[in-house]
Amino acid sequence: EKHLVLLRDGRTLIGYLRSIDQFANLVLHQTVERIHVGKKYGDIPRGIFVVRGENVVLLGEIDLEKESDTPLQQVSIEEILEEQRVEQQAKQESEKLKVQALKERGLSVPRADTLDEY
Amino acid sequence: QSLEDCPLDEDEDAFPALGEEDEDIDQFNDDTFGAGAVDDDWQEAHERLAELEDKAGSSREPDGPVGNDGDVLGDPEDALAERLTRLVIDSELEDPAIMQAVHTRDPPQPGGLNSSIWDSSAVLRRIRGPLLAQEMPSVSVLDYVLPQRPPQARDEERDPSERALPRRSSSPIIGSPPVRAIPIGTPPKQAAIPNFNQQILCPKPVHIRATMQQRYPAPYGERMSPNQLCNVPNSSLLGHPFPHSVSPVLTHLQRAQLLGGAQVKLLPAGRMSPSQFARVSGLVGSPLPSVNPKLLQGRVGQMMSPAGGFRAFFGAPPAPPPSQLPHPPGPGSHLQNLRPQPQMFRPDTTHLHPQHRRLLHQRQQQNRNQHRSLNGSGGDRGGHRSSHQEQIRKDPYANLMLQREKDWVSKIQMMQLQSTDPYLDDYYYQNYFQKLEKLAAAEEVHGDGPKKERTKLITPQVAKLEHTYKPVQFEGSLGKLTVSSVNNPRKMIDAVVTSRSEDDETKEKQVRDKRRQTLVTIEKTYSLLLDVEDYERRYLLSLEGERPALMGERKQKICDMYDNLRGKAAGQDRPSDDHFMQIMCIRKGKRLVARILPFLAPEQAADVLMATARNLPFLIKKDAQDEVLPCLLRPFSHVLYHLPLGTVTSLVQQLTNLPQSAAAPTNLHLTAVLQNKFGLSLLYLVLSRGEELQSSDTNTELMQDNQWTELMLMATRELLRIPQGALAKPVSIPSNLISLFSRYVDQQKLNLLETKLHLVQGIR
Repeated sequence: EKHLVLLRDGRTLIGYLRSIDQFANLVLHQTVERIHVGKKYGDIPRGIFVVRGENVVLLGEIDLEKESDTPLQQVSIEEILEEQRVEQQAKQESEKLKVQALKERGLSVPRADTLDEY
Repeated sequence: QSLEDCPLDEDEDAFPALGEEDEDIDQFNDDTFGAGAVDDDWQEAHERLAELEDKAGSSREPDGPVGNDGDVLGDPEDALAERLTRLVIDSELEDPAIMQAVHTRDPPQPGGLNSSIWDSSAVLRRIRGPLLAQEMPSVSVLDYVLPQRPPQARDEERDPSERALPRRSSSPIIGSPPVRAIPIGTPPKQAAIPNFNQQILCPKPVHIRATMQQRYPAPYGERMSPNQLCNVPNSSLLGHPFPHSVSPVLTHLQRAQLLGGAQVKLLPAGRMSPSQFARVSGLVGSPLPSVNPKLLQGRVGQMMSPAGGFRAFFGAPPAPPPSQLPHPPGPGSHLQNLRPQPQMFRPDTTHLHPQHRRLLHQRQQQNRNQHRSLNGSGGDRGGHRSSHQEQIRKDPYANLMLQREKDWVSKIQMMQLQSTDPYLDDYYYQNYFQKLEKLAAAEEVHGDGPKKERTKLITPQVAKLEHTYKPVQFEGSLGKLTVSSVNNPRKMIDAVVTSRSEDDETKEKQVRDKRRQTLVTIEKTYSLLLDVEDYERRYLLSLEGERPALMGERKQKICDMYDNLRGKAAGQDRPSDDHFMQIMCIRKGKRLVARILPFLAPEQAADVLMATARNLPFLIKKDAQDEVLPCLLRPFSHVLYHLPLGTVTSLVQQLTNLPQSAAAPTNLHLTAVLQNKFGLSLLYLVLSRGEELQSSDTNTELMQDNQWTELMLMATRELLRIPQGALAKPVSIPSNLISLFSRYVDQQKLNLLETKLHLVQGIR
């Protein structure tokens, strides 16, 4: 009954799904936010989550047996947050370079989030 | 049933009354979560209590949820008992001793409020276990239990219950299970007031049988699920006239009591008493689909339905409950739900904050009926007498959603899937599953059949209803009103189409327009193609009489497609391939042609082929980026199969651009063809076909034969000339090329050709 929810902003939540409704609003219990960076992941316990349906990308049940055998390595929260920060930074820099290059050519590609992801 | 019904409305009404939004809600606070949580008219409750000693069977009309403000009463248990007594018709009670006990029972200490909730829950739950196990308790249980409990049970129960519910003038209050503030299942936290709860259980159970709906055995542990709480009051409070068959129910409770142990404490009345009642009834009842869904009404965390239902019940005369409650239709108007199942008793929780209410219900729901628990994570411990005590939840929060609610949500989602024409609405999904099924059938593993089917989501197909649009008409109005709607749109903007004059257009614009036109043509042709492809299916589905018409339509569409492809040249005989070339320049156009070819008549198909071959170098150049031409190979080869030699010859001619005028030193056309994968493959195909025809058909005309031979001679010469490195790698090499070439060249050259073209297997 553990479920994994992927949200539109990219977050991954894992928790016990307590209830849903027709809009796919979810109530998650004992939720843990899992951050993945490369092969490592870290869990942040969050408690109870109520997610509005429109932000849910997908939801799936976790097979508890399979959950244990995963090639991913779990690290502490601080470590994973640090890794994430590094990753974000690298992404931002490459993004900046790209935008720069495009600007030079006279093109401008609007960033995804400004488009409201559509 | 309107899905967006009352819950919201009632919420709004309820809100003003409730103020608190504590983050850290003291869940043990009886006022908010316990008996006190349910809003009652405390004054009335107070009055009732005051009369407790005096009146034994006075009938009262509580206007609101039964339940007394615990604080006001000072004796929550008492109020609960009051209600309990109300539930019971004196005459119904089998055991006069019980009744007596209820009357004389002393109210339990108010201090034990908090714990008592849990205690009774524990008891309730424990009791529930055995009860759930069997629908009909044996009478013997009653006998068994009664002797032990009668004095106390009767005592406590009688008075409160009498007060708890109004006596129905129409019929005795039957079957309302005693409301327990503390679910029976709760393990007793204190030994105080040991017998109070039990008493509560006793008389009411008689009626419980009828009130099957709330089946939430007491929450284990410390939590009383709001649902349970809500349930409790409903069942008990609304004294419904239950048939006498309910009496065995009493046995249930009694037995439950017995099993649960003596430590059930009557929950302080206040607001919780209703729930207790409900819970008890739940205990007694067989695991019927809980009415709780009504509580939840599909709204997670919104417990307003119980309240609403509760109110509804108060006003309405109780309807005889069916002996076996059908599964409620699912959340919908809670009122609607409640009407058919009047046994739902719920405290008036509308005024509660949703979170608050939810927690309430949460507690109520903690013990779910066994058969209803889906989530299963240890959420349900029904039915195990001995394990009640150890029902330390592995997962206290499991089964927050009733099966009913889950069904409701999935029902909504399935409703969205209904379509009048699945093929139209959901083409890919349907096709995908068709393929899967074919695969499964092909595997002939019958054992796996059902398994595979299980995962298929069957999208229902509903009949298409023809709606004739009738414009809205208002009565009493003069003339017809102009109402714009989807079916009858009103013109809002005056959009004027201005066509440009030829002079204004620049060359670029012309080019652009032309391209756009080509794109439009492609799209139109694509629609035609999809339609044509669909005809087969429609043919199967249609009636006999309609079939010729379908075929005719299909033919017409095919013709249209072809015309589109080649460009309708009025009066002319297609002198230019221009139109076609335009289409072929676009990637989608090429794919379109590939798909259309199977439908075309042989001559038309050949025409297309010729055009392609004629302009192949151009096409190759244009295709350099897309590399989509090879997709045409397959349909081309199919077409080739049906071509006579003459056509094939001309095809080769086109492809190779032979014979050439002597002036051209190199055969650019051929070179280009040979250097392109598609071109070379096509050439091979054509040659192979020619060879086939030559070798097989003995009746070929001489002239054609000669033509072919000449052509081949020239072709081979060219092939020899081309350096090997320049040759592309064809998709496939037909096997009869060797024999083909062997006719026209000598051995040495044949060897050369072989190596060059990798005709011999094994070299490649």
